[in-house]
Amino acid sequence: MTQVPFEILRNDGKSGQSHFQSFVVDVEENQAILTALLKIRSEQDPSLAMRYSCRQAICGSCAMRVNGKSRLVCTTMVGPEFRAHGKIRIEPMLNQMVVRDLVVDQTPFWDRYNAVQPFLIHDPSHPMPEGKETRMSPEQVEQFYETPRCIACAACYSACPAVGSDPEFLGPMALAKLYRFTVDPRDTAYHQRLQSVQNQKLWLCLRCNLCVEACPKDVRPAERIVDLKRLAVQEIGTPEHGSRHAQKFLTNIEDGGVLNETKLARETLGLFGMLGQVGKGISMMRHGKSLKKHPPIQGVSEVKAIYADLNQPEDLKGRQRPAGKGVKGGEQ
Amino acid sequence: MKVAYYPGCVAQESGKELDMATRAVAQVLGIEIVDFPTFSCCGSGFIDEANQTLNVALNARNLAIAERAGIDVVMTVCSTCQGMLAHARHTLAKDPVIRGRVDQTLSKIGYSYRGTAQPKHLLQIIVENLGGAEKIRPLVRRPLTGVKIGAFYGCHILRPHDIMEFDDPEEPRALEDVITALGATPVYYRGRVMCCGFPIQFVKPETGQRLAGNQILDAKRNGADAMATPCPLCHISLDTYQKEAGKSVGENLDMPILHFPQLLGLAFGLDPKTLGLPRHMVDPSVLLNKITMVSAPA
Repeated sequence: MTQVPFEILRNDGKSGQSHFQSFVVDVEENQAILTALLKIRSEQDPSLAMRYSCRQAICGSCAMRVNGKSRLVCTTMVGPEFRAHGKIRIEPMLNQMVVRDLVVDQTPFWDRYNAVQPFLIHDPSHPMPEGKETRMSPEQVEQFYETPRCIACAACYSACPAVGSDPEFLGPMALAKLYRFTVDPRDTAYHQRLQSVQNQKLWLCLRCNLCVEACPKDVRPAERIVDLKRLAVQEIGTPEHGSRHAQKFLTNIEDGGVLNETKLARETLGLFGMLGQVGKGISMMRHGKSLKKHPPIQGVSEVKAIYADLNQPEDLKGRQRPAGKGVKGGEQ
Repeated sequence: MKVAYYPGCVAQESGKELDMATRAVAQVLGIEIVDFPTFSCCGSGFIDEANQTLNVALNARNLAIAERAGIDVVMTVCSTCQGMLAHARHTLAKDPVIRGRVDQTLSKIGYSYRGTAQPKHLLQIIVENLGGAEKIRPLVRRPLTGVKIGAFYGCHILRPHDIMEFDDPEEPRALEDVITALGATPVYYRGRVMCCGFPIQFVKPETGQRLAGNQILDAKRNGADAMATPCPLCHISLDTYQKEAGKSVGENLDMPILHFPQLLGLAFGLDPKTLGLPRHMVDPSVLLNKITMVSAPA
C-alpha cells in the first residue's frame, strides 16, 4: 500500500464556487484511480459526487481530468500519475457545466451527437433486396472499424480546444460518428451528411490531436475528421473557407514547390477578404517580413510530375485502411 | 553530426529570422547543415485534407532526397513540418495501398523511397542525438538567469504520440529541460500543449485569435517574461497576430515570442540581430534588456 495524496475539485452545485479539497488514501499503485476515489468516498467523505458504473471501460461514465488530462479513471492507474506528479489532482471534465463535484451536465455533448443523426438513414426509393439482409463485405467494415468502439465517454469532448472556443464546432466524438455513418455502404444520406456539417461544424477542427490522446478506445477522432474533410472536398467541392483553403494550398504548391503565402491568402479569402488584410501586410513588411514570392525550388518539374500523376480524386469510399492497433487503456 | 536541413516554407519567407537563428546555433551545437534547394513544401496539413496520397508523395520525395545523399536525419525547425514528414513516413510504412501508389509515382521521376532517413526537429536532435539538455549547458555564454520562459510546443511535434514518438504528448518536458539548462526558469501553464489557432485562421479568424490570446494570457498570468516555440506557424499566431489575439481576450498582451533557436542563440551569447529578433512584430527589447542586464556575455 502507498499513501497517495489526492486534490479533488469540489463544487456543491449551489454556490457556484469551486475549491480543491485534499485527501490522502492508502492504495496499491497498480489500482485504478476510480478505486482510490471510491475508497475516499466510502472512508472519508460520502458526499463526493461522481459518475461511474462498469469499472472496465465499457460504460463510458467515469471520464474526468486526471492531473489535467481527460481520462477514464477506471483505466488510469494510480502509479504512473503519482510517480510523475507526487499527487493526483482530479477535476471534472471541461467544456461542460459542473452539476456537482465531478459530475457534469452532458447535454451539449449529446446535442452534438444527435445533430449528426447517428443512425442509418435508408432512402425508401432504394429498397433493400427483397427478403435479403443488406450485407457488407469485411473490406467495407474495415473502413470504419475504429468508430463503433466509441463508448461516448466525452473524454475527447473535454480535451478539445475547438469545442471550448466555438459553439459551432460539433466536436471530435460527433464527427467521428458522422464519419462512421457517412462511409457505411447501407446508408443513403452520403451527400446530405457531408453537406450538413459545412462549414464550421467540421472545418473548425484544429488538428491538435488532443482527442486522439484522450480517447480510451483509440477511435482517433482527429484522423476521422480529416477523413471527413477529404470526403467533403470531393463530394461538396470548396464552397467555403476551410475546404477552399485546403484545395488552394494544394494547387499553390504545384506552381513552385514552396508556399506563396500572399497568393494563398488572396485565393482563400477572395479579393474582398484581402482588403481587410492590407493593414496587416503593411505592418508585416515594416518588420522585414517579406511577402514577395519565393523563387521555385530546384527540381520543381519533379513536383509537377507528382501532381500530374496524383492530383486526381482518390478512391476514398473504397479504400482499405491498415488495421489499427486496437484498444488503449488498462496497460499502464 | 550531419543533417539534411529542412527549413520549411515559413522560415524561407515571412519568418526568415528562424532560418537565420537556426544556422547560427547549429554552428555552436556542432550540427553540420546540408542544404537541399530541391526540398518542397510539406503540405502543412492542408494538402492532406484535400489529397492524402499526393501529400504523402511530396514528403516521400523530400525524404528520398536526403536518403539519396546518404544522410539519415532530416532536421526540421517547425513542429508542423516535423508532423507532416513523420506522418508520411508512418503512412509509407503502414499503408501498402498508398505506399504502392507513391512508389510508382516516385519511380517515374527517378526516386526510390527506402525509409532510412528520419525526420527530427532540432529540439528532438538535442534530446536524442546530442545527449540531452544537460549537454548544451557548457555552451551557454550568457545564462538567462532570472528570466521566466513559457514553452509553447506546437501540437504536431507531440501528437499523435504513437506516430511522433517524442516526449509525452500531454505533459512534455523537452523544452523546459532546455530552458533550465540555459539558466532560465520554465513556466508551467496549461496552454503550453494547446493549439495556437493557426489552422483555422482562414476558417474563422476570431476563434483562432481567441485561442492564441488565451494561451498567451495563460503564460502571462503564470509569470512568463517571454514564450518560446519550436513552430513558426505558432509564431505567426502568437507574434504576428498578437495584437488581434490580445483584442479577442480583452488584454494588451505585449509578450515577446521567441523561436526556439533564438532562445538557444541568446543563451549562447549570439547577437540578437544575427538571430533576427528585430523582425518580430512584438518588440522583444524589454526581454533583451533583462537578459543583458542580468547576465552580460562572459
